[in-house]
Amino acid sequence: MKILIAISSKKYSSQTLEVGMSVAKAFSAKTTIVDVGDKINQFSLKEVGIAQERMESWDLDRPGVDVLEWAFDFLSKNEFIEKNEIESGFPKNTLIERGGRRSEVFLKGTVCDDVSLILRNGEIIEELISEVQKEVYDVTIIGKSQNSKKDYELSQYIDSSIFIVNNYKPDRSYKILLVINGLSGTKKAIKYSVRIAQAFKIGIEIIFTSKDNVAGSSLKAIEEWAAKFLRRNKINFKSSFEFGDAEKIINKKSDKNHILIMSSEKSNPLKTFFRGNTPLKILKDTQSSVLIVK
Amino acid sequence: MFGPSNQLLNNLLFWVSRKKWLITTFFISISIFYLPTPEGLSPEGHRTLIIVVTALILIISESIPIPAVALLILIMEVVLGVDTPNGVASTFMSDAVFFIMGSLMLAVAIVHQGLDRHLALVIVKLTGNKTWRISFGFVGVSAIMSSFIGEHTVAAMMLPVALTLLRNSGIKIDRSSNISTLLLFSIAYGCALGSIGTPSGGGRNAIMIGYLSEFGLANISYLDWMKYAYPMLLLEIPLAATILWYSFTPEKTIMDSAVRKLKVDVSKSGPLNSDQKLSIIVFIAVFIGWIFLSPKIGLGIVALSGVFLYLSLRLVEWNDIASRMNWGIVILFGSAISLGIQMKDTGAASWLAQIFLEFFQLFVTDMTIVSWLFSVVLCSIMTNLLSNAATVAVLGPIVLDLGIDPIIMGMATSIASAFAYLTIVASPTCMIIHSTGLVKSKDFFKAGWKLFIVSIVLLFLISFIYWPKLS
Repeated sequence: MKILIAISSKKYSSQTLEVGMSVAKAFSAKTTIVDVGDKINQFSLKEVGIAQERMESWDLDRPGVDVLEWAFDFLSKNEFIEKNEIESGFPKNTLIERGGRRSEVFLKGTVCDDVSLILRNGEIIEELISEVQKEVYDVTIIGKSQNSKKDYELSQYIDSSIFIVNNYKPDRSYKILLVINGLSGTKKAIKYSVRIAQAFKIGIEIIFTSKDNVAGSSLKAIEEWAAKFLRRNKINFKSSFEFGDAEKIINKKSDKNHILIMSSEKSNPLKTFFRGNTPLKILKDTQSSVLIVK
Repeated sequence: MFGPSNQLLNNLLFWVSRKKWLITTFFISISIFYLPTPEGLSPEGHRTLIIVVTALILIISESIPIPAVALLILIMEVVLGVDTPNGVASTFMSDAVFFIMGSLMLAVAIVHQGLDRHLALVIVKLTGNKTWRISFGFVGVSAIMSSFIGEHTVAAMMLPVALTLLRNSGIKIDRSSNISTLLLFSIAYGCALGSIGTPSGGGRNAIMIGYLSEFGLANISYLDWMKYAYPMLLLEIPLAATILWYSFTPEKTIMDSAVRKLKVDVSKSGPLNSDQKLSIIVFIAVFIGWIFLSPKIGLGIVALSGVFLYLSLRLVEWNDIASRMNWGIVILFGSAISLGIQMKDTGAASWLAQIFLEFFQLFVTDMTIVSWLFSVVLCSIMTNLLSNAATVAVLGPIVLDLGIDPIIMGMATSIASAFAYLTIVASPTCMIIHSTGLVKSKDFFKAGWKLFIVSIVLLFLISFIYWPKLS
C-alpha cells in the first residue's frame, strides 16, 4: 500500500498531514509527503536553478525546504519515524534531486512503512498526477482547495483513490458516511472505510442508494457482505436504503461531521469529461472530507 | 484505479484539458491559412504572419516547451514555403545569437566563481546600515552590474546577499513583511532597468542592433548604445528606489545587527583567490573587446572569445556551462530572429506597419509621437506577458518600418522591453525573486505600475530631447 500526502504549508496543511498520517498508520502504508512549489516559467527555469544554487552555497534554504522541515517536525513529534532519524534532525543535506523538478529525502518509518519527503515544482495537478503515475500510489491525500475546479480535475484524472480533507477538526466527533451507489469498487470502498474507522476509532453509517424504488438482489447481497465484514472487524455501524437521485441523497445526508467515502463510478472517461459523475458533483459543494475510492 | 483502456483515454483527456491552447492555436492557424491573402500582402508574408500568431500564442500559453516552439517556427518557415531550408538556417544563426549564447555562457562562468560574498562586502561598505541606503544600494549596484553582465546573473548573485541580511534582521520574514519585499524588488527592478544600459545587458539589445545593421538602417556600436541608453539608466535608479521605498515602506529603518552579522559572515571567505581575480580580468578584457573590437569582429565573437578564455584557463568546466545554460532560450532567440528577418523579407512587417499608419492617420496627422507611443506601449505590455527578447524579435521589424528615425524607434522599443515590472513571468529576475516565496504576485503590480509609467515618461523625454542631439 502506498499513500501520497500533498501539503503546502504549516498554516494550510496541518490538518491534511494529521489526517494523512492517521490513514497511513491505519494501512501501515509506505508514505510519501510532497510539497509542490510554484511553477517556474520556462524562460526562467535555469536562471532560478542557478539562483537557488547560490542560495544553498550561503546556507540558505530553497523554497519548500521549510515546509518539509515542518513535516519532519510533525513526524518526529508524533514518533512516526525512527528515533535515530529524529535525533539527527531534518536531513536537508540528503535532499537529493531525482530527475528534473523532484527532490527526495528518505526516512525510516515506525508505525507505517518508510516515509519519504519530496519537493516538486510545477502546476500542482500535473505534478501530482505525474507523481502518482510514476510511483503508483493507492491513495492520494490532499487538503480541499479554495478553487473547487482543482479538486474536481484532480479527482477526475488522478489514477489513485483520492482523499480530500475538508474542515477537519481533531476535537470534533466524526462518523464515516459510506455511500454505496452501484456495484463497482464497492468492496474496496467498504474495506477502506473499515481501516479508516479503525484509525479514527469511529463508526460507519452506510447508505445504499438506488435509482429504482426497490433494492435489487445484488445490492442486498452487498449489504449482507458489508454487514458481515463490519461485524467481523468490530465496527459500530448502521445501514439504510435510500431511493432516488444519489447526489441529492448524499447532499441531504452528509454534513461536516462526516467523512464521506464513495467508490468512483466506472463510467466512460469521455462521459465523465463532459458530464461529470456523482462523486465529482458531490465534491463540488460538500462540507465533509471525501474519499473517492478508485 | 482505471482499467488500461480507460487509463489511456483518461490520459488523453487530461492532455486535452492541459493543451487547450495548443489545439486552439492549431485551429486558428488553419483558419488564417485558408483566409484569402489580404491586398498588399504577399502569399509568403501571409504565411509568415501565421507563424507569428502561432508562436505568440504558444509562447504566452506555455502549452508546449519553449524549445519546441522555437523548432516549430523553423519547421513552419520551410513547410509553409516562406524560405528554403538553407535560407532558414542562415537566418537562424547570426552574430546576435552568438552574442546571446556567449553572454549566457559568460553568466554561468561568472556565477561559478562565487564572487557574491565579496560583492556583499562591497555593498554593505557602500551603503552602511540604514535600510533606505541598502535598498538604494541594491537598486544601484544591480542596475550598474546588470548593464554589463546580464540581469539574471546579477540577480542570482545579489539574492543570497539580500536573504542573508533578512535572515539576520531579527524580524519575522514572510510574504507579508515589507522589508523583504523592498529588498527583493530592489534587486529585480534594479536588474531590469540596468539591462538597458549596454548591448550586453540583455539579448534583446543585441537583436535590435542586429536588425538595424541587417536591414541597412544603422550601425550601433557598444559605446554608441551606452551613449544613448546609460543616461536613462542613471536617471531611473533614484526614481525606482524612491518608488519602491514608498510602495513597501519597511518595518525596520536600520539593519544594524544584520549588516554586522553579514560582514562577519562574508569576511570568513577571505580575500579574492587567484581564480576569482583572473575571472574578473577576463571579464574586463571582454568588456574592452566589446567596446573596441566589436565594430570589427562583432559582439558575439567577443563574447565567445571570453568563454574560450574561461574554459581554457579552467575557470569553469564545460559540463557546468552545458548543464546550467538555458539552451532552449538560445534556440528560441535564433528562431525569433529568423522569423523577424522573414517578416521583413516577405513584406509582412511593412504591411502591418502600413495598416497601423493608415488607421492612425484617420485621427492624427503627425505620426511620430503616435508611432513611438504605439511601439513603446505595445512592447512594454508584451514584454510583461512573454519573453522580452521574443517581443523585440517580433516587433522589431514592424517598428523599424514605421517610417520614423529607425535609431529612435529601435532604441526606444528595445529599452521599453526592459519595463518588465508588472508580472512574475515578465523576466527571469522577477521569477527569481518570486521563487523565494517571499513576494506575492500582486506586489509586482503594486510598485510595478508606478515604475512602468515613470519609465515610459522618462523614455519619451530622452527619446525626443536627448537622442536627437546625439545624431
